Amino acid sequence: MTAPLVDIADLVIGYDTGMRQVRALDGASLRIDEDETLAIVGESGSGKTTLGMAAGRLLPPEAKVIGGSIHVAGVDVTRADDEALRRLRHDKLGFVFQNPTTALDPTLRIGRQVALAMGGRPPPEAIAELLSRAELNESERILRAFPHELSGGMAQRVVIAMAIARRPHLLIADEPTASLDASIREKVMSTLGRLRAESGASLVILSHDLRMVARHADRVAVMYGGRIVELGSVTRVMQAPAHPYTRALLTAAAGNERPGERLCPIPGTPPILESRCEACAYADRCAFRETRCDTERPEARPFLGREVVCHRAEAVIGAPTQARQEDR
Amino acid sequence: MRLATYLLPRVLAALVTLLGVSVLVFLSLRLLPGGYADILLGPFVTPEARAVIAQRYGLDQPLVVQYLRWVWAMLGGDFGVSMVTQRPVIDELLRRAPVTLQLALIALVLALAVGYPLGVLSGVRAASRRKRRDFGRVIGAMGASVPDFVLGSVLIFVFSVWSLWFRVGGYVPLGVDPVGNLRTMLLPGLTLSVFGVALILRTTRDAVLRVMTEPHITAAVARGASPGAIIRRHILRNAAIPVVTVVATYFGFLLGGAVIVEVLFSVPGVGLYIFNGLLNRDYAIVQAGVLLAAMVFITINMLADVLYALIDPRVGVSR
Repeated sequence: MTAPLVDIADLVIGYDTGMRQVRALDGASLRIDEDETLAIVGESGSGKTTLGMAAGRLLPPEAKVIGGSIHVAGVDVTRADDEALRRLRHDKLGFVFQNPTTALDPTLRIGRQVALAMGGRPPPEAIAELLSRAELNESERILRAFPHELSGGMAQRVVIAMAIARRPHLLIADEPTASLDASIREKVMSTLGRLRAESGASLVILSHDLRMVARHADRVAVMYGGRIVELGSVTRVMQAPAHPYTRALLTAAAGNERPGERLCPIPGTPPILESRCEACAYADRCAFRETRCDTERPEARPFLGREVVCHRAEAVIGAPTQARQEDR
Repeated sequence: MRLATYLLPRVLAALVTLLGVSVLVFLSLRLLPGGYADILLGPFVTPEARAVIAQRYGLDQPLVVQYLRWVWAMLGGDFGVSMVTQRPVIDELLRRAPVTLQLALIALVLALAVGYPLGVLSGVRAASRRKRRDFGRVIGAMGASVPDFVLGSVLIFVFSVWSLWFRVGGYVPLGVDPVGNLRTMLLPGLTLSVFGVALILRTTRDAVLRVMTEPHITAAVARGASPGAIIRRHILRNAAIPVVTVVATYFGFLLGGAVIVEVLFSVPGVGLYIFNGLLNRDYAIVQAGVLLAAMVFITINMLADVLYALIDPRVGVSR
């Protein structure tokens, strides 16, 4: 078996906030294969953005890698020097950011920015071809425009075109549709998916919206408290979640309720960790909590074709779906 | 046209500003103790002699009348006549303007050549290492807090003792002896530039620091662009607007006549002329000089406004 495209092992990252250090990742492990789409799902504060940006070491200077390792396409990201990192980003990675209008330089015309992303002075036909792959027509008008003259959806397609310009092996999209109108989210997502499939790259989608990304991903990783708490194929995880947090995410999201049924928001807030969590980080919000959840850190274990970080996975998966109200 | 709609409100605002400046300079001169008669005739002047002088120059009229006469004459292009030399003030000002312009350009070029690169360097370093205290802050604070008369006096002292090629005072026109001119103009230019270095350095540093945290810079890093390319293509232009603002203000201030430095180094520019006019209570010189300086200042700032729209395409639209 060949080495995976991305191999993140027991990664611990903290942010220096002046007086104390806050842990965004508390031992996250993840492998990403070639040619797959993985969704990483969690609330804000779950660590998903830190994990995604860590793959290209794009973290702000106050972020410190405390432990663990990241290997992307054979490069040891935490130890590589600046030039090796730059080459990795340049040759292998493509990033799509949450807000496309701020991800583009406001003072340069789109044409110039796309050309820069393609590596200098590409022929005009190549630029137009790239834009049409990202489903942008009227390329002449768009190329002459400044970012503030484009709609959010168009700008995001430009960002996507720039991300795929050098045929990356790994595309990382951080909430790629969160700042867009609901009506075009689905279209932008399918553009991303189609481009991924055409190029054979792997795509990582970071999102808080489990249901939306599930339609576009092969596998899903649910994050909580700086760890991946459930990881498996979308069908398995969505049909029968084994972690109470995954289960709560499914019931909290709008879209699957029957008429008259109430949505259940997840009570409480995500934890703020200052050191390694020696219990289950989710215990305070969990309906399945028992004593060892407060005393023993759960480790990842295989369970019914997935990996789960929960002492009570057997009980969670066996609980009837109607019992949503019990989640409180 | 878009440029017209962009400029028209600014031109109107400029006219209002000029009106205010004219009232202020007119009134503050009248508030000063003493007048031309005291300067001309000494402390023991008789009331009769004083009245003759006042009548001759219209100083016996009510202030409102004097003010309106002055403004009316200026609208006709007449900026008044110096009471001391009996020559039109505007000719004297224009004759001295190139000297001040040269001094201003020396100071501006020095300030930009030192302040801008140091500001970019300091900003980039501060952003990437989270070092808030570095040479940029130190130089910026020091340069901004040394008054030009202190710095000028120190330079005069040092270079009077050891000439080191420079010359203190003894102005020579640029057209007559370029090298000799530079020998006398570099020291006052240097004195004026120190504040500019600090101003430009700090502004550039802060602007670069702010741009460095913008998502599109992270996006460029994520694309694997080299640090040099990111600075050249994305940071310099985006950080330019506040720098243009302070450079325009600074240049306007320099062109208005750096009075203290011109007096210190005996540079025969507009500043020295206005200063002497003030000592002689030669109202027309000071009034015209200050008003023209204000006009130059406002014009330069207006040009900076046009420059913003060229640098940042969003500027013209959002108004």
